[in-house]
Amino acid sequence: MTPEVLVFDILAVIAIIAGIGVVVSRNPVHSAVALVVTFVNLAGIFVMLRAEFLAAVQIIVYTGAILVLVLFVIMLVDMDDLPEFHGGAPLQRLSAIVIGLILLGEVAAAVVTRTVVGQPGPWNEETIAAAGGNVQVLGQFLYSGYVLPIQAVAIVLLVGTIGALVMARPDEITTRTRGRTTGTISLGHSRGADLVALPSGAPTARVIHREDMRDGLVMVTSADAYTEQAAWAGTDVPSEPGAAEYPTGAGIGSEENR
Amino acid sequence: MGELTATHFLLLSAALFITGMMGVLTRRNVLVIFMSVELMVNAVNVSFVGFAWEQNSMIGQTFALFVIGIAAAEAVLGLGIVMALSRRADTVDVAEVTELRD
Repeated sequence: MTPEVLVFDILAVIAIIAGIGVVVSRNPVHSAVALVVTFVNLAGIFVMLRAEFLAAVQIIVYTGAILVLVLFVIMLVDMDDLPEFHGGAPLQRLSAIVIGLILLGEVAAAVVTRTVVGQPGPWNEETIAAAGGNVQVLGQFLYSGYVLPIQAVAIVLLVGTIGALVMARPDEITTRTRGRTTGTISLGHSRGADLVALPSGAPTARVIHREDMRDGLVMVTSADAYTEQAAWAGTDVPSEPGAAEYPTGAGIGSEENR
Repeated sequence: MGELTATHFLLLSAALFITGMMGVLTRRNVLVIFMSVELMVNAVNVSFVGFAWEQNSMIGQTFALFVIGIAAAEAVLGLGIVMALSRRADTVDVAEVTELRD
């Protein structure tokens, strides 16, 4: 066994064990840490495969950016103990393991019995070193033959950024006018809060906090169309007696009247 | 088993991919599913780079770089969806999210 194979075996075994740890661990934070171990080991594998730049990118992008993002989301999301480990669906788990092993056997058979077709490219150690190194050769490839895909990836990243902004927009937009908190609106209201435009006699909307969102969200599209209708349909929204219609809803706006 | 060949890397890739796939199929926490997807993407990258190494080519590494770029965008969007989901449905359990089914 050459030292190369030994190093590969160590990296691969640790990567696979950590990968299994990602899947089976009960706590998502433990999953994330196991995923870090997998990614670092795969970076080592990339170094063995003469892909030094990719190893660096793997560390920076995956363990540096994506995993930190995952940990932030784990921190922000309120996570209950899901019932998946409390004895639920053992048959499903068993069949998943069986199917996984069968698939692994199939792929392994295909890999072991394959034959190499096509002629090898020119990039062995000597030619890469003569061209300046891995990064130089990769840069030549990316910015000569793959310019259009680079632009496409740039657009995808831009759209992803904008999409994340749209999705992570807060539910509650509150404006403060004349020393009084006047309005909130969310979920499907394109312009945000425009309760400032309400006439003086009209009831002001109440400020709706996160925890009583399910009680019914006040929707105001304009000062003339003030309803107590929930922003979503289908869920059971308890109606408030006497506060149903505009403009008789005197005191809809007060928090303590609910 | 003496020399290091691309077969080693391909077997590692297959094992990692199927581990991630089983995570996607069996887990119910959407964040763990997301991490399993990342595992599968990385397994594919190992395949790409392994083939490139075997064939003395750089195209596999180029593709792996693109995969990483797309995976970054996917991570941003996926985690945004997780945040919106937990805010709207108050859960990260994929079995409880049935809004499109009902």
